[in-house]
Amino acid sequence: MSTRTNTIERNGNVGQSSTNSIWKRAITPKAEWPDKDEFLDVVYWARQVLGIFLGIIWGVVPLKGFIGLLLFAGISCGIVYIYSLSFQSIDEEAYGGAWELMKEGFMTSFAGFLVTWIIFYSGLHFDSSLHLK
Amino acid sequence: MWSDTLLIVFISVCTAFLGEGLTWLLVYRTEKYQKLKGEVERQSKKLERRKEIHGDSLDKSHKKKIERDEEKLKNNNRDLSLVKMKSMFATGFAFTALLSMFNSIFDGRIVARLPFVPISWIQGLSHRNLPGDDYSECSFIFLYILCTMSIRQNIQKLLGFAPSRAASKQAGGLFGPAPGQFK
Repeated sequence: MSTRTNTIERNGNVGQSSTNSIWKRAITPKAEWPDKDEFLDVVYWARQVLGIFLGIIWGVVPLKGFIGLLLFAGISCGIVYIYSLSFQSIDEEAYGGAWELMKEGFMTSFAGFLVTWIIFYSGLHFDSSLHLK
Repeated sequence: MWSDTLLIVFISVCTAFLGEGLTWLLVYRTEKYQKLKGEVERQSKKLERRKEIHGDSLDKSHKKKIERDEEKLKNNNRDLSLVKMKSMFATGFAFTALLSMFNSIFDGRIVARLPFVPISWIQGLSHRNLPGDDYSECSFIFLYILCTMSIRQNIQKLLGFAPSRAASKQAGGLFGPAPGQFK
């Protein structure tokens, strides 16, 4: 919603294709991001999808222990770092430093990751043992 | 195990929508809230811009202006949380009742197996009301909180009810980015 408001403020019109254009820019290297919130929204939602995706993989493999948590944190932050600074070449200072980018949506995606990891791990590898309880 | 875990996800989605629906009914749709929210967002952006431009300047007049804006924003933020308070009480009561109902349904039941053993201060939550010492067993409340953490905030963001980044940043920790996340 805030994204849309900003777009209206800056451009003076509401583009119906604004969401499409954001995602198009998201996959274009070194795209222009006049509105910082739009870029942060892309990072946020991409992170949510990545969290669920990694949760499913960790659950199916299955990965166990704190190594799974550390691996998730490393991959999630690493991908955001590489995507923002190498692929999009954004000026990290304009966003308050790399740390602000690393934090964007991290906790929510971490919770989503844990939920999918636990669900798939329990469902695929422990179904029978529970019924004995 | 699939059935329990998926049921908890479903419960969490329902309660998130219920919470947001109640808040919309009591707060979001009111003119006062919309006016205050617009004001807070406008002021936060203005303050952010002003800090970016004059942040390092030693000019007293700029500093004074920044301080005045900060004060105004703080007052508006306080008014905004007062408006939200009404719905926080309503949803608080509703959720306490719902949670105690679900707690009694899932009492002593292992809903999932954790792929890791949680650190000691989380074990009280992840192994709540469960028999035995196997801390990889997961209780209802732990999975429910995790689901709520992820689902509720995403729903808030999707529906456009989440506070803007500028407002959260200016409000700092006091009115953090995800109010009522654990309701």
